[in-house]
Parts: sequence; C-alpha cells; structure tokens
Amino acid sequence: MACRDSLSIGPRWRWLDVTLRIVAAVPMGYAVASLWAMALARMLPGARSEATVTGTLVAFALCAFAAMYAFAARSGVRAFFVLLTLGAIAGCITWTSISAGGRL
Amino acid sequence: MNKGFRQSQSTLHTWSGLLLGWVLFLVFLCGTIAFWREGLNRYMRPELARVEQPMTVLAGAQAFLQTKAPDAKSWSITMPNTRIPGSQVFWQPQPKEGEEPTRGRRGRGDTRALIGEDGQVVEARETRGGEFFYRFHFDLYYMPVIWARWLVGAAAMMMLVAILSGIVTHKKIFRDFFTLRRQKGQRSWLDGHNASAVLALPFHLMITYTGLVTLMAMLMPWAILANYTDRDKLSDALFPSSAEVERAGQPTPLVKLTSLVLDAERRLGVPAGFIQVSEPGDASARVTVNAASSATLSSRTASVTYNGTNGALVWQSPPSGPAATTSGVMIGLHAGRFADITLRWIYFLCGAAGTLMVASGLVLWTVKRREKLPDPSRPHLGFHIVERLNVAVIGGFPFAIACMFWANRLLPVAMKDRADWEVHTLFIGWGLALVFVLVRRPALSWVALLGATGVLLAALPFYNLLRFNQNLLTPLRTGDLLPAGVDISLLIIAAAFVAVARRVASYKTGQAKRRSRRHADPQTGLMLEPAE
Repeated sequence: MACRDSLSIGPRWRWLDVTLRIVAAVPMGYAVASLWAMALARMLPGARSEATVTGTLVAFALCAFAAMYAFAARSGVRAFFVLLTLGAIAGCITWTSISAGGRL
Repeated sequence: MNKGFRQSQSTLHTWSGLLLGWVLFLVFLCGTIAFWREGLNRYMRPELARVEQPMTVLAGAQAFLQTKAPDAKSWSITMPNTRIPGSQVFWQPQPKEGEEPTRGRRGRGDTRALIGEDGQVVEARETRGGEFFYRFHFDLYYMPVIWARWLVGAAAMMMLVAILSGIVTHKKIFRDFFTLRRQKGQRSWLDGHNASAVLALPFHLMITYTGLVTLMAMLMPWAILANYTDRDKLSDALFPSSAEVERAGQPTPLVKLTSLVLDAERRLGVPAGFIQVSEPGDASARVTVNAASSATLSSRTASVTYNGTNGALVWQSPPSGPAATTSGVMIGLHAGRFADITLRWIYFLCGAAGTLMVASGLVLWTVKRREKLPDPSRPHLGFHIVERLNVAVIGGFPFAIACMFWANRLLPVAMKDRADWEVHTLFIGWGLALVFVLVRRPALSWVALLGATGVLLAALPFYNLLRFNQNLLTPLRTGDLLPAGVDISLLIIAAAFVAVARRVASYKTGQAKRRSRRHADPQTGLMLEPAE
C-alpha cells in the first residue's frame, strides 16, 4: 500500500488525519450517497418514478456506509481519495445519462 | 474482523452517538410517547365521551358543515372510530376573486371543529394533546420547521451510523445480552446500554432507517433532481388522484356521505379513514374516501372518488409500483398506525428501550471518562458540558412533560390560547430544570429531577380520580379502558422514575466505597476503549 497506516502517522499529523476522515465521512459521505442516488435513479430499469424512489431509499444506507468506511480506512488520505473516486464515477454516469437522455 | 476495524468503529460510535445525542433523546422519547397519540388526544380532553356510532358522527359532521360552510372550496372529515375523540372537520373557504387558492391551514381555529359522539360540535378544553409529541418528534418547537427537520434528519443519520458502528464494536453481542452486572459502576452502565440496544436492535434499525425515509424528499432530493425538472410530475406518478374539477356554479345538494362511505368501505375492503369533499353543494362536487391508515401497513392508503351529486364512482386509485410500495410500507412501519393494541405496546416498549439506549449511552460517556480525569472534582470544560447537558435533557425533559400534563389539567378551560400555554408550560418547566442543573451539583440534580418527575406523574391519576370521578371501576361500567389504562401506565412509569432517583441517591455513597476497592480490581473499567 502506498498510503501509510494511520497508526504509523506521528502525533503531529494526527489532527490532519482525523480532519480528513471527518471531511470524508460527513460532507463527502453525503455527496457520494447523493451522486449514487442520482446514478441509480438514471440507470435502474423500469418506470422513472420507481427508479427515483429506489435510488433515494438506498442512498441513506450508502451515506452510513461511507461514514463507517471513512473511519475504517487505513488513513484519512486514502478515505478521502476513495470516496472522491466513487463520487466521480457516479457523477460521470449521471452527467452522461442526463446529457444523453434529458430529464422529464 | 480485525482489531483495527473494530477500534475505528468504536471511535465513530462514541462521537456519532454523542454529538447530537440529546436531540436523539428528545426525538426518541417524544416519538415513543406519540405511539399513543390518539389515546392521549382523548386522555387530555377528559370531557369527551368515546365514539360508539361512527356513522352518527359522520352524519352530524355533514349536517354541521352544510350549515357552517355550505359553499366552501373543500371539506375534510376525519372518520371517527372508538380510538379517536370524535371527528375532526376542516373546511377551506372559496378563494376571493383573482386570488390564488390558499392551502387551508389546519391549525386555524376558525375553519375547523370537532364533532362529538352525539353528532354535535363539542367544546372540549383546548389542547394539542398527543399531537404535540408527534409534531415535536420531527418539528421541534420555537424554530422554523425546515431547520428542525434538517437537525432531526442529521441526528437520525448519526443514529444510523452509531447503531451500525455499535454492532461492529460489539464483540460478544449475544453473550453480553444475557449479562447484567449490577452495582459495578461503568460495567453496569455498559451492560445496560448493551441490553437496551441489543434487546430491540431490529426495531432500532428499522425505526431509524424508516425515520429517514419519512423525510427523504427533503434530506435526499437528488434522485428526483436527476430525473425530473418538475417535481409535480413525480408527485402525480407516485400519488395519483382524480382530476381536479371546475366549479359549475349550479347549486346541487350533496349526497349522503354515510352511504358513500359504506360503499367505499366495501370497495376498499377496509374501514374508511378520511373523507375529502371538493366543491360541496355544487353540481361539480367530488367526494374522495381514503382507507384508514390503521387498516393498512403502507402509509399510502387506497382511495375512491365519487361524483358528489349522484354518488357514481368516478375514480379508483391504481396499485402502486414495488419501490413506491416499499417506501409507503417503510413510512407505515415507522408511524405504526396499523398496530393494534398488543403491537402498539410492543412498539412503545421498543421505543422506551431505544430512549434508554440513548440515555445510557450519553451517561456512559461521562462514566467512562470520570475515572480517568486528572482531578475528578474539577473536570475539563467538555466533560462539564456533557455532564450538565445529560441531566438537563435526560432528567429535565421528562420533568417538563410532567409539567405539561399538569397544565393540561389545571389551566382554566376558558383561558385564551390555552393549547399554546400548555406547551409553554412544558418549556418553562424545562427552563426551570435547566437553571437548577446549572446551580446545583449533577448528582443532586439527577435525584431531584427524576424524583420530582415521579411524584408529579404519580399524583396525576389521583387528581383525575377526585376531579373527574374516574376510578378503576369506571371502565367496567362504560367499557372504555383508555383513561384508566393511561392512569395505571403513568403510575408504573412514576414508580420507575422514583426507583431510579433512589438508586442514584444511593449511588453516591456506593461510589466512594468502590473507589477504594478499584485498586484491587484492575479489570473493571477498560472495555470498548476508543482508539485514542
């Protein structure tokens, strides 16, 4: 692993590690959950209203798991970049889908 | 599971549980009480008799509305049953020329009335009754509703994280469930926290997740945004209703609602819960009958719409899709309106376990840290704040609720804004408790507040006995178990408060003994240690 284990980070940088984890857990966790809710709402088959509701229902679980991951990750930096990547993937799916298919 | 993962989740559990823990306590407590919303609506209006003949009340409601608001834009009628105190009716006046039709505010006194069991308007004492607990549970009070809902939503999300990380943290989830080490200080608090959490774990997970779902359109609007430019299109797809009608301007009498309701109940297969009449007294009148939410698991109740002048069926709600049904069932599970008396008690007891879980978790935070303080008599600011907030909220809010119950009985019936003053009394009581907590030591405040709550709640049934001449034999005569049931429950809850107050009072002396013994028992005290 390129990322260092958070336990090996000296006390001088602990505040940064914890701050990154909190940023990853709260605003990013919500953003990733929201973006995946959008991506699911776009990609799931069936009626649009059904896909919208499914995406929303699932999003709360994603939000909780993102927060758990942010603290379980080997380091705050890693948590930050993993969630950033996950959010970017969902964002790309949503953006591509909306620009191709439009909204109701 | 590796040790690092569990430790990381332990930290997360501690802080996600603590930061909005006091909000969670209020939400859990009021939500739990709100499972008896309908019962408390009746208990807090002791003048009202129980409804025995719902159709008599409905006919009375129609007669009342026909004289009071013959050319209203719409009428809404709650179908009475034996659980609710009569039929609540609302009407919305015709909008003035060139004015947008306003959504009638239900709270306004001049466009609503309560029809009692004899079909006449009843004048009961003004009170919010159980509705207060229901609204406070997600709207709080004295603050804009939208802020309150975001705050409650954030607290619920943190609760979900706290529950999930708590499960991970918990090594021996089943063994510990059967363990309750009494009088062991921190271990006892931890055991109590674990027992109340694990005992009703499926309930806690369900109620937290479904609680988020009730606010989902506000908390998580992004999926809607991804698919719709106009939110109304989604509403139309999810909550279809019969087409709106244009007022014809030809006076035509409305059919008898009782016969329509009987027909609707046959078509729906369940009792009616709510009746909406648009353009009553006009040729274009429409009557929509909704199924009772007490009869279906889903909060999305089926409905049928009739032509209001000849009683012909014009529309029937289509079955909803799987996702929409899932969300409806989740909201229905959260509100528990479908629950009969046995299931309602289970809901209530699980909610009480959740309230105790939050309370014991908050107390555990201080108990775990107290022994490690450099000087326990002069704790640091963070500890000080948590400790005082715990007493002010966990001890103070039940005391405030007891004050409100008394205000419901003692405020003059003719008082202006009486219902508001009942609620103000709650917050005045809470404010007094807060002042007490700030000036006295926490150990003393705990005993005083818990004890006072117990005494106030215990005295209420005796007041009822003297004032309303209700006693334990009354239900045998009338067949109405509710007032006596609430009184007995209050006595049991009061006894629990007094018992806890006595325990806390005796804990002080026990604590000194344990402190001297602690050196001989190094095992006590180090479990669930956060990675700090």
